[in-house]
Amino acid sequence: MDRATATQHHIALGRGDVGRYVLLPGDPGRVEVIARHFDDPRFVASNREYVTWTGTLDGVPVACTSTGIGCPSTAIAVEELAAIGADTFIRVGTSGAIQPDVATGDLAIVTGAIRDEGTSLHYLPPEFPAVADIDVTVALRAGAAKAGYPYRLGISQSKDSFYGQHAPDRSPMGPELHRRWAAWTAGGAICSEMEAAALYIVASTLRVRAGGLMLMFANLAGREQTPEDLANGDIERAVEATIAGLRILIATDQAAAAAPR
Amino acid sequence: MNDDVMHHIGLRPGDVGRYVLLPGDPGRCERIASRFDDPRFVVRNREYETWTGTLSGVPVAVTSTGIGCPSTAIAVEELQMCGADTFIRVGTAGGMQPGMQTGELAIVTAAIRDEGTTSHYLPMGFPAIADVDVVLALREAARRTGALAREGVSQSKDSFYGEIDPGRMPVRERLEERWQSFIQGGAICSEMEAAAIFIIASIQRTRAGGIMACVGNPDMTEAEATASMAGFDLDQVIDTAVEGLRVLIERDGAR
Repeated sequence: MDRATATQHHIALGRGDVGRYVLLPGDPGRVEVIARHFDDPRFVASNREYVTWTGTLDGVPVACTSTGIGCPSTAIAVEELAAIGADTFIRVGTSGAIQPDVATGDLAIVTGAIRDEGTSLHYLPPEFPAVADIDVTVALRAGAAKAGYPYRLGISQSKDSFYGQHAPDRSPMGPELHRRWAAWTAGGAICSEMEAAALYIVASTLRVRAGGLMLMFANLAGREQTPEDLANGDIERAVEATIAGLRILIATDQAAAAAPR
Repeated sequence: MNDDVMHHIGLRPGDVGRYVLLPGDPGRCERIASRFDDPRFVVRNREYETWTGTLSGVPVAVTSTGIGCPSTAIAVEELQMCGADTFIRVGTAGGMQPGMQTGELAIVTAAIRDEGTTSHYLPMGFPAIADVDVVLALREAARRTGALAREGVSQSKDSFYGEIDPGRMPVRERLEERWQSFIQGGAICSEMEAAAIFIIASIQRTRAGGIMACVGNPDMTEAEATASMAGFDLDQVIDTAVEGLRVLIERDGAR
């Protein structure tokens, strides 16, 4: 069976169901919320953790598919979406801030990811960088600026263990988890989440474009959550900035396609 | 002997400004500096030679790193202590994608850490990536100079002959298998310094990028690659790297 024409095994989509641009939240419950920012939002499919809605932005088909938590399910989503014609992926979601001077609600535009996970090793040796596409990154930067929220560009830690980060002392590997966290901090990583590395490495091998924009929750080491933290910790601002960035990317792609060669 | 002279590069704080070009070969520094206004030889020690000058009235420098990440890491560490915060590697590389032409420029967005130096700084898995604004400046520079250029990942290796002649290495199967996986992953060129520059710049919170003139492609035999170098010269990559600095200076000033 031709993989490109079949209904994909996990995401339950086939060719023609989505265009080139796909937003990738982790949570299936957020897909409809994000799709409400599209024109003509429409539910398409739901299977396992993969929910897909489509719509248009400035007349161009766009989609939103949830990946579930973690790199294993994310790699499957990207593989199957690419097989049916998608070539531009933007992860949108939440993350924990690594640097101490970040406030909850600041946005992270993820330029590269630490491969602190198992999935991407099935694709490329660990020395290979998990890097975002420059044009996607530049569009997301412009989108965040347009949406008017504080943002920074930088590296994300993509981990396989949520509680290994949030409660490292519960793990027998606690001392090593602490040492590695300190190294990521010193290296300048800005946020921690669980999907970007697989997205970027799989995208490199498939020659498709990927980027990511994540809302950060403040690193609360040594302090209590403030009312401002709670008020700003709404994914809506990340969605607004991402949608603005996607519109800019669509316009940039259209201008490039129209330019004389 | 003055205490504030850097141990290896022989420079003092204040000898260089923010912007530094980093070729591997000390013999190329003067040629690169000839594109600066008021080029001036500053110092030479070991493989480290430094020239300074100005572009658009702003101080710039060129310092050679020698071959490989070990000596490059020392240069970047000591240059930062002297006040530099923006590094552009300029040099040559092997082309890694089918169809690449000798002379095509590679603007390096990130590097494969296929070397031993950066593990002394950060655990494996941390990406060696270039600064986005440096990449964008080099993209604009290539547009201005009219150079054929592509953007992508570079393999930064520790063994030149492991790449050129893997068949005579005891670990040849590993070398050949990894080489194929890097090509399949989309790597565009192979050189020996970018990973260390990018990882150290991440830790320093400085900016780094790189532009390399490529030789050959994986489908060429060694003889074909050698033949393709007829007429190859470094002027275009040097001109584009210098133009990249000029673009960065313009954009930094506009901020």
